[in-house]
Amino acid sequence: MAASDTATAARSRRSNLKAERIRSSWIFLAPMLLVLAFVAGWPLLKTIWFGFTDASLDALSSADFIGFNNYLEWVDYGDGDGEWYGLLADPDWWQAVYNTVFFSLVSVFFETIFGTIVALVLHAEFKGRGFVRAAVLIPWAIPTIVSAKMWAWMMNDQFGILNDLFLHIGVISQPIAWTASADTAMIAVLIVDIWKTTPFMALLILAGLQMIPQDIYEAAKIDGINPVKVFFRVTLPLIKPALAVAVIFRALDALRVFDLIYVLTPNNSQTKTMSVFAQENLFQFDKFAYGSAASTLLFLVIGVITIVYLKIARVDLEGGR
Amino acid sequence: MARRVPTSRKWLVTIAAWAIGFLIFFPILWTILTSFKTEAEAIASPPSFLFFDWTLDSYREVQSRSNYFLHFYNSVIISLGSTLLGLVIAIPAAWSMAFVPAKRTKDVLMWMLSTKMLPPVGVLIPIYLLFRDFGLLDSRFGLVIVLTLINLPIIVWMLFTYFREIPGEILEAARMDGATLWAEIVHVLTPMAVPGIASTLLLNVILAWNEAFWTLNLTAAKAAPLTAFIASYSSPEGLFYAKLSAASTMAIAPILILGWFSQKQLVRGLTFGAVK
Repeated sequence: MAASDTATAARSRRSNLKAERIRSSWIFLAPMLLVLAFVAGWPLLKTIWFGFTDASLDALSSADFIGFNNYLEWVDYGDGDGEWYGLLADPDWWQAVYNTVFFSLVSVFFETIFGTIVALVLHAEFKGRGFVRAAVLIPWAIPTIVSAKMWAWMMNDQFGILNDLFLHIGVISQPIAWTASADTAMIAVLIVDIWKTTPFMALLILAGLQMIPQDIYEAAKIDGINPVKVFFRVTLPLIKPALAVAVIFRALDALRVFDLIYVLTPNNSQTKTMSVFAQENLFQFDKFAYGSAASTLLFLVIGVITIVYLKIARVDLEGGR
Repeated sequence: MARRVPTSRKWLVTIAAWAIGFLIFFPILWTILTSFKTEAEAIASPPSFLFFDWTLDSYREVQSRSNYFLHFYNSVIISLGSTLLGLVIAIPAAWSMAFVPAKRTKDVLMWMLSTKMLPPVGVLIPIYLLFRDFGLLDSRFGLVIVLTLINLPIIVWMLFTYFREIPGEILEAARMDGATLWAEIVHVLTPMAVPGIASTLLLNVILAWNEAFWTLNLTAAKAAPLTAFIASYSSPEGLFYAKLSAASTMAIAPILILGWFSQKQLVRGLTFGAVK
């Protein structure tokens, strides 16, 4: 009798506890949700609103609602003559969209491949591994404005060490103005971004590699399976979840790339991305509303790309519980 | 469980690893070397690698022209402050997501991800106006707040993935034994999650240390951290490479040292728990 009483008491205590946990969980989430609403929600709503007005930087409060005119507007010249205006009819905007998507695809592709190679090498045992790992990690850990400046100077056509090096090896026959010339600006930006971000990818993949139990490799080795095959059949599927999360965080950064391009190749239409386009309109061209509309559209474009990617790659955000 | 690797292959891996390490590290090495050159030698053609007159002139010049220690102090306060404040908000939130299962967890994660879809330039003006109205421009406190807001999603995300690995039964058992919720989180959960919390702390200190967009746009002289200090050395004429290199070296030195000591924790910390 006494035993069942205790059991009932324990059960009711457990259910009380459960109710309390659910209650507290909301209280605990509240500060974060408030902060998220504050940082992501309010400024975003404000920017979306500005995108529907004719606001300019010095007259923010006296902005008037003009509907979708920043996005698309038919300006009638009379006599059936007219022209489309607005973002959706702006070739510069579409060039920026193209540049951004091109940059993101190429950089994330190479960063993933190089990151995997570097991670595999760093995962092996060799002398001075800690030292080399720290050296590889560092490019990611220094501010972009520093690395962009460093590279701008290394790529300088007159005193840059890169031209000097390539001339000596014979890859090029005359110095190249890497960051200034229209043909090479995008290549320059990609080189620096891949240099800077490969370590980050390598680190994420390395962490994934370290979670794989060694005995899987032992078994594959005893069975005499070719190492390349082991990589594609065993290693890759096992690090895929880590890779998928790494790629999405990386891609979101690549799609919003701004400071690298702003410092390395300013005013170059070949490397102008959506963020740079928005910044120019917001602050330099005195078209604040137009820039706000561009920011809104940028958010939408990235959102759509992310959702499509999550669906295609079947990324499980919760990590498959 | 040491694998037996043939000696020749071991050498090959060692050489490949060091070559990759050198290649990746070279631009930084070049910057450090240049910081010890005179301005004339920095732009000499062909560039000299090691055989130049080593000098500390650039460092002296940089030190006399700006107050390195003030910016250093600002960087330390801002990066540590924002990370600690972030942890205080994030630990309870991550506890909720990991131990009180609900359908909303996925929505919260997606919402956090969506904050990374917004271009900072797009929301600069709304945030700037808010800061002006609250008198937070060019204040360390203001920067701590804004960097906390920006890094909070990644802090919560990382903690959530660590907490998920901890069996919830242990926490519930502590509660059944009479521990309060406060005790459960502070005395049971936190000690168990120390490695994860340490990695999160480290990663976010580095992220905050390097943040340049908000720190440049929301500060003037008083609260400016090291990123602003470097930016002040990048003149458009660009003929001050030795000084720029010296300033850069001074700005990244703390990160070089921190990265060197914490490389192991970082590798562990960056999994985001996405692998099991």
